[in-house]
Amino acid sequence: MKMEDMPLSGLDNTRLEALAHDIYSELVEDACLGLCFEVHRAVKQGYFFLDETDQESMKEFEIVDQPGVDIFGQVYNQWKNKECECPNCKRLIAASRFAPHLEKCLGMGRNSSRIANRRLASSNNMSKSESDQEDNDDLNDNDWSYGAEKKAKKRKSEKSQNSPRRSKSLKHKNGELGSSVGAESYKYNYNTGISYETLGPDEVRSLLTTQCGVISEHTKNVDVYATLCPTRSQRCPQHTDEQRRAVRVFLLGPSAPALPDADAVVETDSFDIPEGQTLMSRLQWEDSPDISPTDSASSKASTNHSDSRKPKKKKKPSLGLNSGGGGSGSLAGGGSSSSQSNISISTKKKRPKLSAPSLSSIYDDLN
Amino acid sequence: MAARRRNHRPKRCFLSEATPPILVKTETSAFNFLWKSKTMSKESRMRATINQKLTEMGERERLKEILRARLTECGWKDQMKAHCKEVIKEKGLEHITVDDLVVEITPKGRALVPDSVKKDLLHRIRAFLAQHAS
Repeated sequence: MKMEDMPLSGLDNTRLEALAHDIYSELVEDACLGLCFEVHRAVKQGYFFLDETDQESMKEFEIVDQPGVDIFGQVYNQWKNKECECPNCKRLIAASRFAPHLEKCLGMGRNSSRIANRRLASSNNMSKSESDQEDNDDLNDNDWSYGAEKKAKKRKSEKSQNSPRRSKSLKHKNGELGSSVGAESYKYNYNTGISYETLGPDEVRSLLTTQCGVISEHTKNVDVYATLCPTRSQRCPQHTDEQRRAVRVFLLGPSAPALPDADAVVETDSFDIPEGQTLMSRLQWEDSPDISPTDSASSKASTNHSDSRKPKKKKKPSLGLNSGGGGSGSLAGGGSSSSQSNISISTKKKRPKLSAPSLSSIYDDLN
Repeated sequence: MAARRRNHRPKRCFLSEATPPILVKTETSAFNFLWKSKTMSKESRMRATINQKLTEMGERERLKEILRARLTECGWKDQMKAHCKEVIKEKGLEHITVDDLVVEITPKGRALVPDSVKKDLLHRIRAFLAQHAS
């Protein structure tokens, strides 16, 4: 039995190996036969020699193997240095930048409208804030003092962040204010002012009639850019009338003309200075709830002053303010009625009772 | 007695060697029975069984596909086609026959198979045999 097993296993191995080789040969022959049938069919159907058409076209489409050229024979950076003339703006643009330039130039790309809208919005903001200062004076005393300031400041900062014209605006502010006082200077609301050193005395005088003019705190110590507050109103909430008078004295000499009355109530030259100051401070006290914190010192002083007067005024009946305003004559005029309404609106919140008596006392003094 | 019989009989049956494997496939069951009982050695029987199993389990087809893929990717097929072109140009496009091609192509084909492909295929066959041979 054993003898049978051993040769069998030995045979089996060699037989198995032989068997494996046989199977392998079978498979290879199968593959060759398959190929032969395929080729024979292609020959008989006529599509065996299709890739060899004729010598000419073979040579024409041969693979190119030269340096600086791809396999088709084309140069790689052929369009790199070429420039094209834009049909719209007639400028010479580099070829790789031509398509984006056309987009912006013709206003037809995806982002071109966005950029244009942004530019329009920022220029609108500048003109809009300018008109706000003039128009809302009479109407919205509440909003005028602090809210509008905040809004204007926001818009201003937005504008200066986005626009590429920031450098331009700075140039205007510093250098060319003599000529551009009219338009551009008023675009810059609270953060910037007008440098008074570049202006002549007449210009300064005219400026001071229309705007607050108090030297801005943050630029006071800077020699070059000491600026006047450009708020186009004599009732700029950031500064008191005392400050305004001081500035006028400083700039125009002790014989400075009286503070003009665009919107203000009682700043006239018929007043003695101390009386005018107390009255002014009292008026400031009326507005104090809405004044910005920079004026806290002055407003506190004025509140102390007016507190002492409170008990006296309560007893007096409330007079018709219009008559009082009319009686005062030359100065108040139209401005007083508007200012009176302003004051009444501003003080409605806190001390409605006292506003009328104090005002009436003022007009009594006047008369 | 079994040993004597074995010694007397040659290792490989003459008949089984002469008949190509195709005959094994096409045998009817009766003929197969007779054939096997008379002339087929154990080895032949084993071979037949193996081949049968190879076909029935689909392993043969799989091995064929693997071989074709390997030959194509190693470039054997393109070589053979180029050789065919030469043969056809030699013999003439109109009068070429399958037999001409087969005669020309097969020996060269067998020779040109890369060693890696051959080894891989043998490895697979041996694995199959080890698994299924009795």
